[in-house]
Amino acid sequence: MPVVELSAVTKAYQDKVAVNQLSFRIEPGQMFGLLGPNGSGKTSSIRMMIGITAPDSGAITLFDRPFTRASLTRVGYLPEERGLYKKMKVLDQLIFMGSLHGLSAAEAQKRAIAWAKKLDIAHSILKKTQELSKGMQQKIQFIAALIHEPELIIMDEPFSGLDPVNASLLQDTLLEQKAQGRTILFSTHRMDQVEKLCDSIALIHQGNLVLSGRVREIKSRYKRDRVVVEFEGDDSFLRSPEIAEAKNYSGHAEIRLKENGDAQKLLAEAAAHTTIYRFELMEPSLEEIFIQAVGGKVDA
Amino acid sequence: MRNILLIAKREYMEQVRARTFLITTILLPAVFVGVFYLSFLSGKHSGSDKHIAIASSDPALAAEIRSQILADTDAKATVDLFTPEMPGMLMDSDRSKLVSEVDSKAIDGFLWVDVPASGPVQATYEAQTSGDFVTGDRLQSALNHALLRRRLLQDGIAASTADTLLKTVKVDTRQIKNGKEVTSNAVSSFYSAYIMALLLTMTTMIYGLNVGRSVIQEKTSRIFEVMLATVKAGDMLTGKLVGIGAVGLTQILIWISAGAIFAGSALGAQYLSGNLQIHISLLQIVLFAVYFLLGYTLNSALFAGLGATLETEQELQQYSPLAALPVWLSFSMILLISTNPNSFWVVAASLFPPCTPIVMFLRMGSQMPPMWQIGASIALMLLAIAAVLWFSTRLYRIGILMYGKRATLPEMMRWLRYS
Repeated sequence: MPVVELSAVTKAYQDKVAVNQLSFRIEPGQMFGLLGPNGSGKTSSIRMMIGITAPDSGAITLFDRPFTRASLTRVGYLPEERGLYKKMKVLDQLIFMGSLHGLSAAEAQKRAIAWAKKLDIAHSILKKTQELSKGMQQKIQFIAALIHEPELIIMDEPFSGLDPVNASLLQDTLLEQKAQGRTILFSTHRMDQVEKLCDSIALIHQGNLVLSGRVREIKSRYKRDRVVVEFEGDDSFLRSPEIAEAKNYSGHAEIRLKENGDAQKLLAEAAAHTTIYRFELMEPSLEEIFIQAVGGKVDA
Repeated sequence: MRNILLIAKREYMEQVRARTFLITTILLPAVFVGVFYLSFLSGKHSGSDKHIAIASSDPALAAEIRSQILADTDAKATVDLFTPEMPGMLMDSDRSKLVSEVDSKAIDGFLWVDVPASGPVQATYEAQTSGDFVTGDRLQSALNHALLRRRLLQDGIAASTADTLLKTVKVDTRQIKNGKEVTSNAVSSFYSAYIMALLLTMTTMIYGLNVGRSVIQEKTSRIFEVMLATVKAGDMLTGKLVGIGAVGLTQILIWISAGAIFAGSALGAQYLSGNLQIHISLLQIVLFAVYFLLGYTLNSALFAGLGATLETEQELQQYSPLAALPVWLSFSMILLISTNPNSFWVVAASLFPPCTPIVMFLRMGSQMPPMWQIGASIALMLLAIAAVLWFSTRLYRIGILMYGKRATLPEMMRWLRYS
């Protein structure tokens, strides 16, 4: 029973097709990445999933049923365009958001305080939102999306604008949510940020689905042709017939193998002439896979 | 419904807690009472405290005019009798002398009365100010009185009889309300309706614009995206209208309560007597609340739709004359409304929804409009509100998610089609 399922969904704005015949499904308990460059149709797809806009054609189901607004109480949404009431106190804001999702004011207050402690913003809970830093406001937005303990969490570019410490704090929180059985949908153009987090992904480009499936499965479809070598001594092995392209940063080389290049042969050649500290046959990153899949025609 | 109430409550609390609410609650009525009192006083004192000279070839007539002017206690004038160089004759040198006195501000003006041996009396009033028609009227009346008195005396009527005949009668105004006579002062009735119309104008405009501003603020702060993932756009708009409308009603309630407490106090009894007696009936108070709600909803629906198509509060400010237009139109008819409240154009204006609240209240200053007209005006306003809401919710639904630039007219037409 998928939590979200899109079947041949299309949405056009005036002459521009934002989403074209898009289909994918998100299984319960998964961390799912909706990936693609800016303007590829990620936000448009999410907006349709939660009923902000309606698809021109195709079908969307939420919790295995056609979309109804009632099911939105089971969804937590962190939009790309963050928004909070600037003049409202943080606690009031969180109680308001919780109440809109069906919580009683008392329950919303209890949860807001617990979350504030957890994310280290308890000292600011009685301040007006406009008095807080951008990072703090991000955390409040994050709590607002999770306060009603939604079964499906949708995060559109969740780590943008966050410093590494806070990004890692929110990442850990999301992993906890996943461990509690919640389904999480990430949408981002920073594929490197989420590839280690996601179980499954859908890669989209100009509104079209490029690739979808489990991350391991997708990666296994692509050959490992990148090698990173850390060495000391003679670098003549970098002229091996197995290599298509090599960048040598004095002791650190990044290599792309030829179509049928043999990494084991290269390792033997290198080891014969130099001291090897590290020889790693890298799997392609999602970004590289994406670029290969769209034939290098990426706008952003 | 729960979400509408939650949104309304949030709007209400935010606005009521804001400093501007406190300031406008105190300041608006203070300004209006001040304006009312000032215009009342200035009406009473216009043309008074003048220093005038009377020059005439007939000194007896000049003295008679002087005593007539001094008899008008409202005028509080100082009147000098000018003695011509040649007794019994006015010459150019006399006029030059008086002109130089006016010029040096020794006097405010002079009345030049030439009584030729045959033919009519000719009189001119020359003064520093050109538009002082009140003094002009007073002098004309004094001159005519003096001339009439003289003719009566010449015809052999005794002075005491002539004075009795010429005694002016002051007309008191009494209004008939529901078949009963009520002591009423036309000026104060008019001013109290005028104040209510002004307050109604200000509140419906301010709160209507507040809705537009609130929409733009939410658009700028990008809160819509979060909200729309929970509530419908229509519920958001309804909650906002209810919340901000409740703020306006709260403010009006505070004013009415404060007014009632003041009117009931000893101080109120002292001030609100005589010409300042204010007649505001319970029906007027109820209609004030009804017309506020209708006027506010019409304005706010308009500005909510407009706000959704704009990006900044400054842009919204440029559209505020749109709300002021019916106000200008209504107040431009004020003379017609006060003198002939049942004329065709006045009735038509009071049934034209954007003007209804103001014109209706101005009409009440002279005469309570018939109930069918009040009923019809309310029905027409409700229809207008339904029509504006229809357009606005469509613009609002799409506009709140469009960031970056002000929507063009063709874009808005497309939004109407999308919805």
